[in-house]
Amino acid sequence: MRLAFAPLSLLLLAGLFSPSILADTFRFTAIPDEDESRLVERFSKVADYLEEKLGVEVEYVPVKSYGAAVTAFRNDQVQLAWFGGLSGVQARRLVPDSQAIAQGAEDAAFKTYFIAHESTGLDASNTLPDDIQGMTFTFGAKTSTSGRLMPDYYLRERFSEAPEKIFSRVGFSGDHSRTLALVEAGTYDIGALNYAVWDAAMQDGLVDTSKVHVIWETPTYPDYQWTLRGDADEHYGDGFSEQVRQALLDMDDPELLESFPRSGFIPADNPMYAPIEDVAESLGLLR
Amino acid sequence: MSLVPPLAVFDGENLGHGDHVVLSEVHLTFHPGERIALLGASGAGKSTLLSALRQRLGKQAAWCPQHHGLVPELAVYHNIYMGRLEQHSGLANLWNLLRPLAAPWQDIATLCQLLGLEGLMKRPVGQLSGGQRQRVAIGRALYQQRSVFLGDEPVASVDPHQAVELLQVIHERHQGCVIALHQHRLALTHFDRVWGLDKGRVVLDAPSTELSLDTLDALYPSAGAATKTTMDIEQTAPWPQDSLPCPRGQA
Amino acid sequence: MAATPISELALQDHPPRLLAGKSPGMRLARHTLTLIALALLVLPFADLHVLSRAPWGELGRIAQGLVLPHFGSVESPLSAIGLTVAVALWGTLAGMIMGFPLALVFSRSRFVRAGCAFVRAIHELFWALLFLQVFGLSALTALAALAIPYAGIFAKVYAEILEQTPTAARDALPEGTGRLSRFVYTELPLAFAQLAAYTRYRFECALRSSVLLGFVGLPTLGYQLESAFREGRYFEAGAVMWLFYLLIASLPWWAHRRLVPLLALSSLFLLGPWPDIDASLVWRFVSQDIWPQPLLAGDINGLIDWLREIPELLPVIANTLLLGLLGSVGALLVALTLWPLASHHFGNRLTQVAGKGLLIFLRSTPELMLAFVFLLLLGPSLLPAWLALALHNGALIAFLVARHADNLKLDMVGLPASGKLGYQLLPRVYPGMLALLYYRAEVILRESAILGMLGIATLGYVIDDYFQTLMFDVAFLLLLITAGLNILVDAGARRLRPKGIQPS
Repeated sequence: MRLAFAPLSLLLLAGLFSPSILADTFRFTAIPDEDESRLVERFSKVADYLEEKLGVEVEYVPVKSYGAAVTAFRNDQVQLAWFGGLSGVQARRLVPDSQAIAQGAEDAAFKTYFIAHESTGLDASNTLPDDIQGMTFTFGAKTSTSGRLMPDYYLRERFSEAPEKIFSRVGFSGDHSRTLALVEAGTYDIGALNYAVWDAAMQDGLVDTSKVHVIWETPTYPDYQWTLRGDADEHYGDGFSEQVRQALLDMDDPELLESFPRSGFIPADNPMYAPIEDVAESLGLLR
Repeated sequence: MSLVPPLAVFDGENLGHGDHVVLSEVHLTFHPGERIALLGASGAGKSTLLSALRQRLGKQAAWCPQHHGLVPELAVYHNIYMGRLEQHSGLANLWNLLRPLAAPWQDIATLCQLLGLEGLMKRPVGQLSGGQRQRVAIGRALYQQRSVFLGDEPVASVDPHQAVELLQVIHERHQGCVIALHQHRLALTHFDRVWGLDKGRVVLDAPSTELSLDTLDALYPSAGAATKTTMDIEQTAPWPQDSLPCPRGQA
Repeated sequence: MAATPISELALQDHPPRLLAGKSPGMRLARHTLTLIALALLVLPFADLHVLSRAPWGELGRIAQGLVLPHFGSVESPLSAIGLTVAVALWGTLAGMIMGFPLALVFSRSRFVRAGCAFVRAIHELFWALLFLQVFGLSALTALAALAIPYAGIFAKVYAEILEQTPTAARDALPEGTGRLSRFVYTELPLAFAQLAAYTRYRFECALRSSVLLGFVGLPTLGYQLESAFREGRYFEAGAVMWLFYLLIASLPWWAHRRLVPLLALSSLFLLGPWPDIDASLVWRFVSQDIWPQPLLAGDINGLIDWLREIPELLPVIANTLLLGLLGSVGALLVALTLWPLASHHFGNRLTQVAGKGLLIFLRSTPELMLAFVFLLLLGPSLLPAWLALALHNGALIAFLVARHADNLKLDMVGLPASGKLGYQLLPRVYPGMLALLYYRAEVILRESAILGMLGIATLGYVIDDYFQTLMFDVAFLLLLITAGLNILVDAGARRLRPKGIQPS
């Protein structure tokens, strides 16, 4: 009978639910701040590099959002993650003893660009112009440091009001490239994005400068960093954390670095990110 | 007429479902061994009378409903087997669906031979002709092996010759029967007694020897053409509506 | 007739006023116009701005991507397709296995009915977001996200189908037949064809849902689709779309009934990765994460503060309901306009093929996908969501209506198209169309909420917010509110539905 195979398959399914993952594989995740095409292929090369340096099996786990990355880190489904400033702080709060071990060379002094559509008639200046009030505005992803947290903070600092009050409409584009595209198309008057994404797009000639330009840049703040779980030494042997840090700092193959994209990695630690934590708390994004 | 106690007696009762009376003031007695033909136009109350009888007779009566009540998706064997479904455990019945039990298979094979269904036991009922389905429905009732046979137009969709054959089989295997039918001639030749219904009342209750074809034809003038069943009476919906193929909101 | 007084005759001769009369057609016409009037009435409250200044350039690039897809740019397409199918198939099977026993007690247990209504009311993607927190990006998350709401849907629909099986065979059984025997000999075989047809339809829905799971990070086809669209790599997005359409179009061949067991077994190996189930994680999530901290601490004042910190929900709830209503009415109008295009009663061979193609295209494309593209073009007002809901659901209804109409034989030949439509076909198909719409309203509202995840100001927007900031307690409360809203609206729709048009 056709119905007969249903219980059978249930049994098979139940069999598969038993633990099936090798406990010793070292897993990491990373979301680049631009270009998510062929993620697995690109980051598998990073995994191969780490595997060679660390002597354990290394696997890359692709994720879609910062939230998912933090959850995976919290649940020990990944042990190492390339986080944004805010998501790193979230993750380290949820997993006690986890450490920021390295950051991108560009991340020590990261900044956000505010960009505007040409129709706004705004020019580059040293402060955010008053005229932006009442215009439409888009952030990047909801928990992005450079696309949400810091621009939100500086907007409040400048106008003493929530962005929803400053602008006639506030959106979240989802990522930096999208912010650029939306402002270029005039869907939003103003946008805030990661300076590195803008610079890279300019360099590649992807920006129509007659339509969109930078009107203000924020002061610098620390951003992306590698965070490692505190129990790594326990699982992979003494000194493993130090090995991971060294492997990251030693990474100099441009092809690997291109995936992040960073020119190289430099040491980092938890206290460097205290300002981010303060800002996030004041905005109610952390509790 | 007989000293043996009757099987069922209706003594001026109203029959129907719930509060709705279909047959009023029924005075009828069903004696053991009697073969009774039940006549009446569509909607006269034959089915109501038969189900009342079925209720009274309980496990004494084999039952062959109108329009067969078969399951088209299942094989002839399984449909006939259903006549004795209550005599096996649920598990045995379940297993029988996957693989026929040996003893019932034998019994039903014999029955099928008798009914002219040999070689069709494994065929789904949905693939049979109208006459063949009729035989399967009768087969299911015969397989019950009860003393009395109750049939609601069990020979409606076969030709007169086959009808005679089937009635003979039914008579041979039961000590009495009440069978609704449309064929006046058969009522006189193959039954002891005729009950006639009209517009919710019993209008005839007489031995078939006392009746003639002319009397019956006068009572039911349209009966000649009435081999047509009530099946095609249209369901009355609030408005004409054809159902959608895969409805249910595709939720 | 001769006895009828003259005055009464005259009265009968007088033609009824516009839209007056008790005939079913007029009643439905009035009902429909009331719905449309209601939609027009609330229209001013909806934010329908076109925010984009230059949508045409973007539209051109998207169209170009669809016409000139770049299949080479899709990363490991086969494994993405394999996983999409495996998740859909096993999600449906697991939903079936859970839903079927529930269907048997559905009509007798208020508890089961309420439970099913609840799990149904939460969209697959929301379930996925919940399970992501405990099972991570694993096959288990994907399967549970599909199987749980589907169990609720199957329980309801299977129960309805079983309830409507003819009872003649059951009545013919000897008295004293056991429940199990009665079920497997009469009810199940009689209902089997319909049960199978519905399960099949649900599998097609599951394929769409499986793709959508990619939007939250499971590596199905939607994973690349989302990032490719978001980052403007339309040639790659176009390629993934084409892969998906081919998958749907070839369904009759690869998902043939006889192939299903083989497909199920072989796709088991494509499912993965399987998570280590960490009971403490599950427990932490269920016992702590989703409950407000002050509640767990027994701190009533803290709980009030906690509630106060949740921003105003009324606007998003209002937007969700508004979008649900506008989406439903829009779907009705789209269905009314589009169904004749795909029916063989109208037009020529060419227009019919084109019409059918358009409907298949619109109904195969998930709402979320359509909304995503419209959003790129028009900006995040309610407008793109409305368009997506109306087009997708309208096309789905139109498709069924056209198929129904094609099964009807017209008694009069040689009527002009308008006569055929107005006098022959529409009166017969319209009650069913309206009934489908009322069934669909529940789904449309569920979708209205989920579209918020794209940045449209409905409930999904805030829910996504709290998942992103890892405040699961608030997210969970909002999910409960969403489910409650959906159950209420479904009950309301059942009451409002014009009587006697239940299609079956």
